[in-house]
Amino acid sequence: MSAYNVMAMSPFIAGAVAVVAIMLGIAVRRSHRASAAATVAAFALMLACIPVAAGVAPRQVTPLVVIDAYALFWLAIIFGAGMATAILARDYLRVRGGQPEEFYLLLLISCIGAGAMVCSRHFASFYLGLEVMTIPLYGMISYICSGKRGVEAGLKYLILAGAASAFLLFGAALIFSEAGTLDFVGMACATVNYSGSLVVLAGLAMVLVGVGFKLSLAPFHLWTPDVYEGAPAPVTAFMATVSKGAVLAALLRYFSTVSPDTFMSLRTAFSLAAAASMIAGNLLALRQTNVKRILACSSIAHAGYVAVAFLALGDIAAHAVAYYFAAYFAATLGAFGVITLLSANGDLREHDAMEDYRGLFHTRPVLAAVLALMLLSLAGVPLTAGFLGKVYVFMAGIRAGLWWQTGVLVFASAVGLVYYLRIIAVMTATPKDGDHACEVLLPAVSSAAKGLLAALTLAVLWMGIYPAPLLRIIEGIHLSAH
Amino acid sequence: MLQLLWTVPALPLLGFALLALFGRRLPRAGVSVIGAGSVGLSAVASGLVAWGYITQTVPAAYSQCLWTWMEVGSLKVDMILWLDPISLVMILVATGVGFLIHVYSTEYMRDDADYARFFAYMNLFVGAMVVLVLAGSLPMLYLGWEGVGLCSYLLIGFWYDNADNARAAVKAFLVTRIGDIGMLIGLFVLWFSLGTLDIQPLMERAQLQWTPNSAVAVAATALLLCGALGKSGQLPLQVWLPDAMAGPTPVSALIHAATMVAAGVYLLARTHVLFDLAPAVQCVVAVIGAATLLLAGTSALAQRDIKRALAYSTISQLGYMFLALGVGAWSAALFHFMTHAFFKALLFMAAGAVILAMHHEQDMFNMGGLRRRLPLVFWTFLAGAMSLAALPLVTAGFYSKDMILWSVLSSPKGGFLLWAAGVVGAFLTGLYSFRIVFLVFFGEEKGHASAKPGPAMMIPLVLLAVLALGAGFVEIPETLGRVALFSSFMGVHAAEASAVLGEGTQQVLAALLALGGLAAAVVLYLLRPGIVKAWVATPSGAALQRLCASGWGFDALYGMLIIRPVVALSSLCRDDFMAVVWRAVGICAEGAAAGLGRAQTGRLRFYMAGIALGAVVVLALVVLL
Repeated sequence: MSAYNVMAMSPFIAGAVAVVAIMLGIAVRRSHRASAAATVAAFALMLACIPVAAGVAPRQVTPLVVIDAYALFWLAIIFGAGMATAILARDYLRVRGGQPEEFYLLLLISCIGAGAMVCSRHFASFYLGLEVMTIPLYGMISYICSGKRGVEAGLKYLILAGAASAFLLFGAALIFSEAGTLDFVGMACATVNYSGSLVVLAGLAMVLVGVGFKLSLAPFHLWTPDVYEGAPAPVTAFMATVSKGAVLAALLRYFSTVSPDTFMSLRTAFSLAAAASMIAGNLLALRQTNVKRILACSSIAHAGYVAVAFLALGDIAAHAVAYYFAAYFAATLGAFGVITLLSANGDLREHDAMEDYRGLFHTRPVLAAVLALMLLSLAGVPLTAGFLGKVYVFMAGIRAGLWWQTGVLVFASAVGLVYYLRIIAVMTATPKDGDHACEVLLPAVSSAAKGLLAALTLAVLWMGIYPAPLLRIIEGIHLSAH
Repeated sequence: MLQLLWTVPALPLLGFALLALFGRRLPRAGVSVIGAGSVGLSAVASGLVAWGYITQTVPAAYSQCLWTWMEVGSLKVDMILWLDPISLVMILVATGVGFLIHVYSTEYMRDDADYARFFAYMNLFVGAMVVLVLAGSLPMLYLGWEGVGLCSYLLIGFWYDNADNARAAVKAFLVTRIGDIGMLIGLFVLWFSLGTLDIQPLMERAQLQWTPNSAVAVAATALLLCGALGKSGQLPLQVWLPDAMAGPTPVSALIHAATMVAAGVYLLARTHVLFDLAPAVQCVVAVIGAATLLLAGTSALAQRDIKRALAYSTISQLGYMFLALGVGAWSAALFHFMTHAFFKALLFMAAGAVILAMHHEQDMFNMGGLRRRLPLVFWTFLAGAMSLAALPLVTAGFYSKDMILWSVLSSPKGGFLLWAAGVVGAFLTGLYSFRIVFLVFFGEEKGHASAKPGPAMMIPLVLLAVLALGAGFVEIPETLGRVALFSSFMGVHAAEASAVLGEGTQQVLAALLALGGLAAAVVLYLLRPGIVKAWVATPSGAALQRLCASGWGFDALYGMLIIRPVVALSSLCRDDFMAVVWRAVGICAEGAAAGLGRAQTGRLRFYMAGIALGAVVVLALVVLL
């Protein structure tokens, strides 16, 4: 391995070293504070390694991994999201006692797996990354083993994700049986050559099923509200952002090597799934009374929106998807961040029922304002990041001629406004029994978490008002070069 | 110096952000310092920018591109600031007068419970107004336009505990919204017709591509005019402005007299190139201006509430500006905007001092004799009233109004009738201005005036009084020894004029009518108040008085013609076909949500079955299609 390759892989190396170091640290002496701080530092180090890797990009390291601008962009937002999750988790776990130190190991490993996925150019590395990302998630979801909900959610996710992985593997095997390679470019060439072959089509369809599960596209979305509700709030934030973004990023790299006209039937199937998720996600959210479930349903809908951009393929799709996910990451982490901080108090209860938010503007005005901003961004209101994200997805859809899909997108987002505004309306209402609510909703927010929320707020406003610098970075990304 | 331009809007917006976030925790002194200080620094920045602009070696407009907000296909929206003489005058007035009013408010609002909220809104207003004025592209202008509209709504309803105030706020918002919708459609027309929304390229392309009085030119300018009429309270959308006086008095001074209501004037001045290509619309502008100034002038004569009287006078003076815009004399309109901002802010703030001293009494007939109790307020109010009445030679209002009247008379687009309306208006102005002065400050004392206003209120009054009298000397007509600082700064050169009357003759006539108004006021309200009382007692006099007091009955007219039919129609249509459709949409959505929710059983085997079923469907689709 040449020095350049080491430089290119340095974010991963830093992460792996950090995992081992923190594990040894825990073995010597348990300290929640030290573990959390070391994890945040590790994420900072991994982020700092990205410019180093950018110096030698684009570069293919072994047949498995490619480090290019696209991969580095995704690494940056995945590691950023990981860092945010670590900060939130510290506040959340601190009040719950137990042995919270190992949580951070799982988080780091999961992020490394997600990173491996977005860099993969080979089915083997894609699959390995996926599993490295998913297996720690089982532990993270059921980390709080005192309650039933977490364990139940973890078990559900374990079994369903296992089944979805099986579909993915079976699909890849079918394609391999025709193409004889697991390399993305090779597979893509082969799929073009064998476009009439039922085996290849069935293989691709099964890959779609596996990926659809991870993205929680309808009709593979049924698990999402249950698992999101049962998982600890910071873990939900992580699942809604990183595990979705990484899968879609990897998939986009794979399909961008294929000409879009080759698989009309596959496109139709994917379009239908996208439309179904937009409609089902938004409608499901209407009647929920639990904020985490509402956000889970909203994440189903957002997967549908971004799938529309995905269908455009190529650089347009890469830019739209990248911008959309950057905006979505910030808003989702912020929204779940507020839920986390409200849940990080003495009564050890998840504060996710709608009633917990009644009158929040009166009792915790700053947290309420942050949550309102994040919800408005998710709804796509102008001057927030979400608005421009929607505009870019919309333009990608129009340019690729995806008329009816874009139409569904517009109508579904209009429905979506209802439930986001419903949360905000509940927050502005007068608190039922003012004094009592005040007492309950007074968790001690650490200054790190305060700083994180401030940074996310600024990011949402900055991307909505002054997006030019981010757009310049995103427009430097070219997928088709490989 | 010019690079400081971005700080002019940024500072008040920063002040707003600070006050909105931390206002509740700050002590009052801190709120005052941030609230007034941010606008003060912004005024200093505007002064420096103005200095930089004037001392440029080659005088040229300056643009500062902050960033590109979005670029999608051929639609590119830049955040670009554009500084030329028009916007420079506007920002100087908005931040300068704005600063004085903020200083005044620190004392006026001293005892209010929501002190921080007030200054947060006021700072947001100044920021939005500066964005509106400096906008280099129409979408950005529209952003500022809606921003000031929002602040106007928030501040009219500032004391929302009283339902009447909230109703006035909603009325202002709805009526201006009617105009805004027209303006928004106008922006679309411009974009479709000319393919850009940046103001300068837009003007150039319009000159190249449009023929005068072509349909698109008339349509686009008429739609822009709708927005301007709503914002500036001109016929037929003037009904909101008198009610807007429900807000605190500094708000009336800043928003509903000095700055925001002039946004319509600014819009027309900014796009005057387009209006020059649509003479038909210009004619409409002039006629609307003339009609408004007469109508509002007569209405002002019959008001009992001091703030409503001043509000009608604002509408009337804005009518003068529209009259000037209608004959193409946009620099005269801006000159009158500037002097009007000085004297009308002064009048409102002095009225506020009176109202505060009289324990929130606003009825002029319950005041009187206050010149002995509040001498300094009296003298400053008198300066403002003289300027408003355009008393010749010594007041700023005289020079700006004279410039308008002479342009109307001499311009080929004007004419004798429009000019006659203007000079009749001058008579009315003299009459109603001094009616207020005599009712409030002369005669016998009624009620009890308490503590005198402190320095934070008096210093701005004195400064504005100086400006109200002296600011006119930057532009003196030819007959009185020509000074043309303002119009040459605007880049306008006096055209060869031909008129039925000479310039000197018309000046003497206008001055005589203004003095006549003053004399009539002296007779009717000071020497022989019995005449008016006796006349109002007669049936015809009472009817006319009621008509004028109600602003010519527009509220009743709209209530009858628009509001009642709409309400009746909507109650008639409550259960019509479309309502069924909309309700069905809601029921369907609820039903679909319930149906989808039923799939959320929580049972693992059911979810697994879902995935399997989905896989079968996808496989079937892929294989069969």
